[in-house]
Amino acid sequence: MRTTLKLSLWFALPVSTAILIGIPALSDPLPPDLTYRPLPTMPFSDAKSIDEAQKRAVMERQQAMLRQRYDLADKPIDGTMMSGGRKPVQGGVRVKLPEGTTWEDLSNLTPTEIRDRNLLPSGFKPLPHVKQSAGGQVFPQAQIDAIARLEQRDLRRFDVDFDLPDHLTPEFPPPIFLTTHPELGDVSRGEVLSIRNFYEIMNGLITPVQMEGLRLLLTPFPQEEFNQTEDRKVAQQSLGVACLDCHANFHTNAAFHQTPDVRPQSARFRLDTTSLRGVFNQQIHGSKRSLRSVEDFTQFEQRTAYFNGDHVSATRKGANLPDRTNQVAMMAQMQNIIDLPPAPKLDPFGRLDPALATEQELAGEKVFMGKGRCADCHVPQTNFMDNNMHDLKLERFYRIGEVTNDFVALPDGPIKTFTLRGIKDSPPYLHDGRLLTLADTVEFFNLVLGVKLDQKEKDDLVAYLLAL
Amino acid sequence: MRNILTLAILAASVSGAWAQIGNPAFMGADTRMQKPGDPAPNQTNNSDRVFARLVAAGGAAEVDFAHMSADRASAESVKNFAQRMVKDHDAANHELAQLADTAKIPLPEGLLPDQEAMKAKLNDLQGHDYDVAYMAGQITDHQRTAHLLEWEITGGEDANLQQFAMKTLPIVLEHLQLAQKIHAELTDASGGIR
Repeated sequence: MRTTLKLSLWFALPVSTAILIGIPALSDPLPPDLTYRPLPTMPFSDAKSIDEAQKRAVMERQQAMLRQRYDLADKPIDGTMMSGGRKPVQGGVRVKLPEGTTWEDLSNLTPTEIRDRNLLPSGFKPLPHVKQSAGGQVFPQAQIDAIARLEQRDLRRFDVDFDLPDHLTPEFPPPIFLTTHPELGDVSRGEVLSIRNFYEIMNGLITPVQMEGLRLLLTPFPQEEFNQTEDRKVAQQSLGVACLDCHANFHTNAAFHQTPDVRPQSARFRLDTTSLRGVFNQQIHGSKRSLRSVEDFTQFEQRTAYFNGDHVSATRKGANLPDRTNQVAMMAQMQNIIDLPPAPKLDPFGRLDPALATEQELAGEKVFMGKGRCADCHVPQTNFMDNNMHDLKLERFYRIGEVTNDFVALPDGPIKTFTLRGIKDSPPYLHDGRLLTLADTVEFFNLVLGVKLDQKEKDDLVAYLLAL
Repeated sequence: MRNILTLAILAASVSGAWAQIGNPAFMGADTRMQKPGDPAPNQTNNSDRVFARLVAAGGAAEVDFAHMSADRASAESVKNFAQRMVKDHDAANHELAQLADTAKIPLPEGLLPDQEAMKAKLNDLQGHDYDVAYMAGQITDHQRTAHLLEWEITGGEDANLQQFAMKTLPIVLEHLQLAQKIHAELTDASGGIR
């Protein structure tokens, strides 16, 4: 007995010593609202009237930043429409060069030289949210109007508006292609799917399980800025938002948000809505979270896309926690039948059919597979993805910690590879939408990967991307 | 006044000349505004006050440890780093103290408990061990400071303090990268070097 006691004292001793030494060595944690959302301190009506009065200045500041970075003009490529034939694809390089430089000059400098001389075009840097301090989901006007018409539900924020011109976003409403009915083509009837009309549009085309999944994907649930509490950015107490409010018709309407995965607030980068087309072939989900199934993604988004990854705030405002077996699985099954738009020039392995492709497209494919190194990640055979995340290390080219419109530009870190199938349908490009056209993406990757393409190779590459 | 003006100009050149715009929901309900959403000069919220106190205490400790390390460090790179910390942090500490004084925020005196503990630990070490411990502490301190500065940029409402945060952040991140590099050289590790 005594031995046992002695022994246990021996064991207890290092523990208690550690506690004695450990406590003073621990530092204070950083303040709680670096991680958690604080409760509002201002009465709702005061915050609302301030937000409304400030909205013009917010939008002017954002527009000034956009104009400084980009040529925002309406310059469509002749005869090139998006898959539904409703909107032309925009052309040309829109990112502005620093004065006195050319793209060729830049490609001949090292990343360190570009950083030290502050020569990275600012349009290549991370793109700020329209109002960094508030963040949250911002819908384009077309979506706001459609949901108001179909559901009398208000998606208009009183503090901010959507910031990009309409011609630089995807066609609206986007067409819907089903893997289960390729012969039908677009089944959207030119309408936006909503909780009111989905049954009428889809009955007869999908299974009961898919229909129930669709209903859930269209059901609004409380969200950080759209809810019934005083902490909201919509005038009336809101029913919330639905998954397909951003992923309109399972594609994207270019609604944007901030990454739920980063804190503090000023460091959260912008996220452009990803298309759900072709999600059946995708092995990882969430640009930063690398979730391994669309079921996980569907389930977790109720606390991430909806509540910025803050389950505490979600609990206060009304979290929707879909049942894994009976609801999540059905939502996933519906998403998994959404096909990519037809690409008639591609063979079953994602390679161009020489009998159908133009010479320029074939030349572009050669650059894509070779000198341009695009196919190192965007592998044609696996739907132009590699199911990996990669770190482009863009911070080699700029000084980190610079602040634009309250947004701190920091390294993006690893981001998942997105598919390039149907890519002409989903501007703007990159995870935050900082690149407005495909020509911009070619210039961006030419610089970041250091592949030194000439003008003909760049043009060929754009022609190829349009064929995907 | 001239200091504030210089700061404002500096911050404007950093941020591309656009003033910061906060989320009014999280501003103090008693905030006096010069325009809606634009707090009158030297109006502070709780974030501003906590920020000023924590960063001032951190900055003072930086200088304290750096003076100590200028004598006790053995590696040349660590001595140089310590000298740079004295120079950069002295200037920033002074500026922050002035801004806090203008905003009537009392700043803490002396070291915080965790800084005392770090000082006691460093006092017991010598040579290479001292260098490694000092640089490891510097990495943590600069990580924390960077996050406090980032927090203030959207969380605070005193424009002077926010501009101070914007101006200081890239320098603190530079210090962090330098500390990571020196620590990696001392330990033959690659942690943190991108």
